[in-house]
This record gives sequence, C-alpha cells and structure tokens, in this order.
Amino acid sequence: MWLPVMGLLIGILLGLSTEFRIPEAYSSYLSIAVLAALDTLFGGIRAHLENVFEEKVFLTGFFTNIALAAGLAFLGVHLGVDLYLAAVFAFGVRLFHNIAVIRRFLIEKWVNNRKKDRDMIEE
Amino acid sequence: MKDRMIIFTCVTTIIGFMVAIQFQSTKEPEIRDTRNIHELRQALTFEKERQKELNEELENQAEMLYQLQQTEDLEPIMTDAIEELKVRAGLTEVSGQGIIIEVSPIFEEDYGGGAIRSVPPYLLRMLLNELNIYGAKEIAVANQRIISTTPIREANGVTLINSNRVTQFPLKIRVLSDDPESLHHAVMASRAREYFSYENLSINSTPINYITLPPYDRTLRVRHMEIVKEES
Repeated sequence: MWLPVMGLLIGILLGLSTEFRIPEAYSSYLSIAVLAALDTLFGGIRAHLENVFEEKVFLTGFFTNIALAAGLAFLGVHLGVDLYLAAVFAFGVRLFHNIAVIRRFLIEKWVNNRKKDRDMIEE
Repeated sequence: MKDRMIIFTCVTTIIGFMVAIQFQSTKEPEIRDTRNIHELRQALTFEKERQKELNEELENQAEMLYQLQQTEDLEPIMTDAIEELKVRAGLTEVSGQGIIIEVSPIFEEDYGGGAIRSVPPYLLRMLLNELNIYGAKEIAVANQRIISTTPIREANGVTLINSNRVTQFPLKIRVLSDDPESLHHAVMASRAREYFSYENLSINSTPINYITLPPYDRTLRVRHMEIVKEES
C-alpha cells in the first residue's frame, strides 16, 4: 500500500534534484501528460478495488493515454485549435468520476467493516 | 498482487517525476544581481549625483519658502521665480559670448545629386547633440530657439524646426557658451562636420563676443504632466 506513495515521493525528489527543465513552449504538453497519467492511475486504482484490474490494460493505457494527450495538444497547436482543451475536459471528467467511484467504494467498505465489528460485539 | 504494487509504484514514480519537472519549469527563475564591482560603483556614483542634485534643489526650494514666509509682499518674489523659470524654459531673449556656425552647401565639380533644399534633420540633431556635449548653453537655429521640446523633423523634403521651414542657406546656428574658443575648436573637429560633408554641406564656426538669441515665440504646450498634490 505504501509502496506507490514512496514511488511518488521518490519521483518528485528525483525530478527536483535533476534540475531538469523543459522549454516553456512544451510545458503545456507535459501538463496534459501529467493529467493523462493521473487519470490512468485513478482508473487503475478503481479497477483494483473492483477486482477487474489487468496489468497489460493498465500499462498500455498509461503510455498510450500520455502519448495521445500530448499528440492531441501538438495537433491542436498546428491546426490553430485549442484541441488540448478536449483532452483536459475528457480527462478531467473521467478523473472526477473515478475518484467519486473510489470514494463510494471506500465508504461502503468502511461501513461494512463497522457493521461487522458491531455484529461481532453483539454476539 | 505484488506485481500490481510494483506497477503502481513505477507509474506513480513517473507521475512524480513529471510533476516535479513541470513544477520546476513553470517556476520563475530567481533574479540575481549579476553586476560586477565596476557597475556597482557606477550605479552608486549615479545615485550620489542624483542625491546631490536633489539636495541642491531642496535647498533652493527651502530658501524660497523661507523668503516667502519672511516677506509680507509676495509678489516680487513670485515674479522673480516666474522670470527665472521663463529664462530656463527659453522664453526670453538671451545674449552673451558664443559661436556662430554657418552651414552652406558645397558643390564640387563632379556633383551629381539634385538640389540641396535644406539640412537633413538627422544631421541637425547630430550637430545639436554634439554642441550640447561640448558645453553649449543655449542654441538657436535660423532664428528658431531650441528648447527642450523643440521638434526637428522633415516634411515634404523640407526640414522643419518648431514647425518653421528652415530652407535658407547659409544656415546660421547661434550658440551661447561659457568657453566659445574651445567650443569652436570642438565643432571644427567634430564628427558632425564629417557627416555634413557627406551630404555636400560645409560647416564653419566663428567665435563671437556678443550674440543675442531670440526667444521661443510659440505657446508652450505642456502635456503629459500633472501637478503633484501636496500630501496633507
């Protein structure tokens, strides 16, 4: 459970310590890639909780989503249309949806656990 | 299960890395003072001079305030102040020692250009700048007094100073100076003289003991300036 959180911290530390900077023109691509990655991550957590998690789907989804989002933003810049907004919208909606599902799942689990505990005490 | 956690860990690491880079890239770079000692000294000297000027100004103003407070009759002092300001703005006739510069066209044998109607504005500006560098106090070009807002421009091939056509040759430029002799030498050796010769114009300067410069004869329009309200 704590391993992914550790991974996140390690990633942030690594990123901060490398002093690596990307040009300002490409920062929008990176931000949309981050959004896509977060979306995939929460999708993965949800699938994990619902016991329908598949590694191949998750990993391929992670990388293709990032590539697709960045590609869409790139295409948008060259077409003169703010296409990245479409990606932001889609990922944002899915992100919120996934988080809501995860929250409901956790609450249900918590309520069930408490009920179980009470039943045990009453017995 | 263990595989799953490792995959999640990899993914979160990548996300963390991307977020950190994004954060670092959008962060404003810190502005550092990269001036060296020489530049710092220059800045310091500049500020000191400024301070000196401001102090002098303050002293003048304080003295005037004192005078105003002391005397019952304010009118002469205020008239004096206005007169002084008028002199400084170039609204009065001034005279003294100085030089007269004459600009006239030179036609060599193989001259092939058109008629020379007036001195190009950029040359006049260059000459005036050089005069100011060499210590000119007041300048008048062909009876047009040069003040701080005097425009020198070109319209329809004719040079205008204070919106007056300056076409006659030789063009007389009268300059007041404390040291006419050295100003005369400076003009005769100036870069402006060389540039004038490229446009087939020659410059001749003569130091003179007494010349009079006309006042600025138009209404001074003061724009983009506001009275500073005294803070109570």
